[in-house]
Amino acid sequence: MGFDYSSLFAFILFGLTIGVVYGIVALGISLIYSGLDIVHFAHGEIYMFGAFFGLVFSNQWGLPYPVAFVLAMLCAAVLGMIIERVFYRRLTKGGGGYTVAGMGMIICGFGMSIVLMNIAFLIWGAGAEPFHVDLGMPFQIGDITLPKSYALTAVFAVTLMTVLHYFLKRTKIGLAIRAVAANKDIAYLMGINVPLMISLIFGLACGLAAGAGVLIGPMQSVQVEMGYLMLMKAFAAAVVGGFGSLPGAIAGGILVGITENLGAAYISPNHKDIYAFLLLILVLMFKPSGLFGVVARVKA
Amino acid sequence: MLKVSGLTTGYGKIQILRGIDLEVPKGEIVALLGGNGTGKSTLLKALSGLLPVWDGTIEFNGQPIHGLPPHTIVRAGLTQVTQGKDSYPAMTVEENLKLGAYTRSDKAGIADDLDRVYEYFPRLLERRKQLSATLSGGEVQMLVIGRGLMASPKLLMLDEPSAALAPKIVMEIFSIINRIRKSGISILVVEQNVRMALLLAGYGYIIRDGVILIEGKARDMINDPDVKNSFLGGTVANTSRDIKA
Amino acid sequence: MSKLNKTGTVLGLAAVMGVTLSTFALAADIRIGITMRMISENGQKYGQMVMDEFDMINKAGGINGNMIKATLMNDECKSDKGVANAVKLVAQEKVHLLIGSSCSSVTLPIVDVTSKAGVPQLVPHSTNDKITKKGSAWVFRVPVSGRYYAGVNAKYVGENIGKKIAYLCAADAASQNDCEAMQAQMKAQHGVEPAYTAQVQEKEVDFRTHMQKIKNANVDGIMIAALAETMARALIQSYEAGIPASVRRIGSSSASNSPVPKIAGDAAKGVFFAAAYAAADTRPIARMFNEIVKSRYGINSPDHDFSQAYDLVRIAEIALGNADLKLDSASLAADRTAIRDAIAGVKGYQGLASGPISFCAEATPQCRDGNRTAVLIAYSKGGENYKTEVLARVTMPIDFGL
Repeated sequence: MGFDYSSLFAFILFGLTIGVVYGIVALGISLIYSGLDIVHFAHGEIYMFGAFFGLVFSNQWGLPYPVAFVLAMLCAAVLGMIIERVFYRRLTKGGGGYTVAGMGMIICGFGMSIVLMNIAFLIWGAGAEPFHVDLGMPFQIGDITLPKSYALTAVFAVTLMTVLHYFLKRTKIGLAIRAVAANKDIAYLMGINVPLMISLIFGLACGLAAGAGVLIGPMQSVQVEMGYLMLMKAFAAAVVGGFGSLPGAIAGGILVGITENLGAAYISPNHKDIYAFLLLILVLMFKPSGLFGVVARVKA
Repeated sequence: MLKVSGLTTGYGKIQILRGIDLEVPKGEIVALLGGNGTGKSTLLKALSGLLPVWDGTIEFNGQPIHGLPPHTIVRAGLTQVTQGKDSYPAMTVEENLKLGAYTRSDKAGIADDLDRVYEYFPRLLERRKQLSATLSGGEVQMLVIGRGLMASPKLLMLDEPSAALAPKIVMEIFSIINRIRKSGISILVVEQNVRMALLLAGYGYIIRDGVILIEGKARDMINDPDVKNSFLGGTVANTSRDIKA
Repeated sequence: MSKLNKTGTVLGLAAVMGVTLSTFALAADIRIGITMRMISENGQKYGQMVMDEFDMINKAGGINGNMIKATLMNDECKSDKGVANAVKLVAQEKVHLLIGSSCSSVTLPIVDVTSKAGVPQLVPHSTNDKITKKGSAWVFRVPVSGRYYAGVNAKYVGENIGKKIAYLCAADAASQNDCEAMQAQMKAQHGVEPAYTAQVQEKEVDFRTHMQKIKNANVDGIMIAALAETMARALIQSYEAGIPASVRRIGSSSASNSPVPKIAGDAAKGVFFAAAYAAADTRPIARMFNEIVKSRYGINSPDHDFSQAYDLVRIAEIALGNADLKLDSASLAADRTAIRDAIAGVKGYQGLASGPISFCAEATPQCRDGNRTAVLIAYSKGGENYKTEVLARVTMPIDFGL
């Protein structure tokens, strides 16, 4: 029996469809990292909330899937901004902003993750909830059956990234967000309302996580515990791609997705989650700044 | 235009400025001179609203501005230009310039000012699509000054525009600063290069240990033996002819 | 935590009073400790059912005039928590009888705790055959052992579906056991090896790689051995991968849990599994039970984890009624032994289980796997209002699978 290329193609395709979702969450983690100099440990729970929001809008209210997708993103963005304003911002009152509040922020992020998980538990219970989206028959590519939900995920993810790219590169607010992410002191001197932009960055990152949650929902069902593993994978993706690099986050996500699927297919499926972290360790050993991490050099 | 009285501030509990009085008249270049760690940059930060004012007042155009957030101060027309290393290296030259105009919404005015900046610094026009990380030191200094101009300021505060630059470039930049003043923008220039700054400015302040030590007309200060001995050292080079007055 | 401590103090006081007042032969408490997996929605309800049933016994006058004092603890299906709970219940609460646990991986180490302390243990839900193979004289299993299930399943699969079977086995103890037992039975009864085997993580969410491989392997059936929610995801993804409905999906024991048809929806249709109880059972006791569960807990078609919780309480009630208990501070060890012997004396109990349950004194699987009758149940409809049908009912010989 020769090598089965169509299966290989299928495994890569599966890795790609899950990888873009890792990438979207990683994008948010990276955005918050570059904008606020913190790693947001409650991001997995925002992703979980997003999935539940999508579930409520789509399955309970009967809204069309794309509408539920956008609404869930908006709700999570507002939730994220409230969390940032009410809880995280207070930690920066001692001065020095988020950079100095670092350790406290990490602990606060963990606490927030537990609080959010318990709130979700009280509202929706512990059991997994099915997220039905009827899209019709799957696509057939040769021997490979590709359900429409996966194709849809890829389409939504690419659209989301294009919109985000356009937003950051071409709009004034996007420019301001990049400025705040790169250097807050100078951003102040440009007349940018930096605290407002920090809220926006947080909201944007949370919105992205929610979008990922709504995309994953129909594939894996929605459950209170779903955030933890996603955070780990997205974190690996962000580091592999280069922390703080936005294209790196997406590339890292896809790389992690493909690596774990190929690992599960050809090495051993028993410990699928290990491959992502193996990749992470290799990248840290040989290119610590990540694959796309650029250390910006300034000529004197 | 700008009037500072009895200003004190510092970082945390450490006081740096111990009562600064300073004035920038409309349409003038005023030089604030002093060595490292004398409080020059601290004063600029306080003026821009990046540091809280402990005591004293800052008036701009007759309005008190101390205690306002930084972005409001920029909108009022008081723009600080930091040192050249503070460009956004990962953004293109034109993106950097557009960021300077962040507070404005008059598209036509922004376009005019962009043309004007390119006219002042033709090299920026050549490099407008390049990342600013690829610029030379002098070009980055031009970029941050241009970026400051894009805010359409009434008063421009320049933090050491000559730092770490070759004399020829410094000359070029200082002549542009003089042209900017002539276009009606007041300028407060902070410098370590005392001689160059006094040749450019109409009035000068020398700061040391958080207080103003000497102040006076620039022309008088250049000839003041105290200033000469303490800060100028050696002979005054005959460079004034290079500055297109 | 503070609530537990308070209970401890109260119990301690009661014990002290017991010494001084024993001559008056006052009624005392029978202390029962329960540790179960209280995390999933139904998990909480199984525990609630046990507590409610004990409460009703108390309201009806207790057992020989003695009240039952039940303490329910949550082990979250984690073995370290389960062992900590068991130690606490046995050593601090000084329970006369321990009930636990839901997950086999938790029950297995608890068997060592009760065996060492000499406390009778009734197992409510765990099916792993190693539980009774450990040789503890103190453990009794109410549900059907995995060794019987595998035999029933393999017989049906080999005769009605085919011999080319792919296996997807999750890493939790119950699923591992179900998987191994099924593979062993397929070999023993039909002489075939697995067509494909994949080990996946306990909470795996993405099975597409395996489904693609299984699809290429052209099998007659797929056994998915996993906990309920994991199984539901795998079922959905098996259809998404384009494996046709003609390839039968075989569930492990947790396929009986209601999240499977609820989450999997249409993908649950045709999935069959061996269980101890069929909600489609028409006996009066079964119909009465279905009504109770529906009115009390709002659940249609209760799964066998409900029926086993109910049967367990009835068996405990019978045994406690037959045991000669003193219930004072000096008699703890004697009372525990008396309860153990009384449970071993339960013969031919007819409850919700599909066949009679009998225990005996020897510390062997033959004596302690008291329930030998399995029903094969298939989902005829998935979703929130799922429906089941009985494919077959089989009582296995006592030595089967040993």
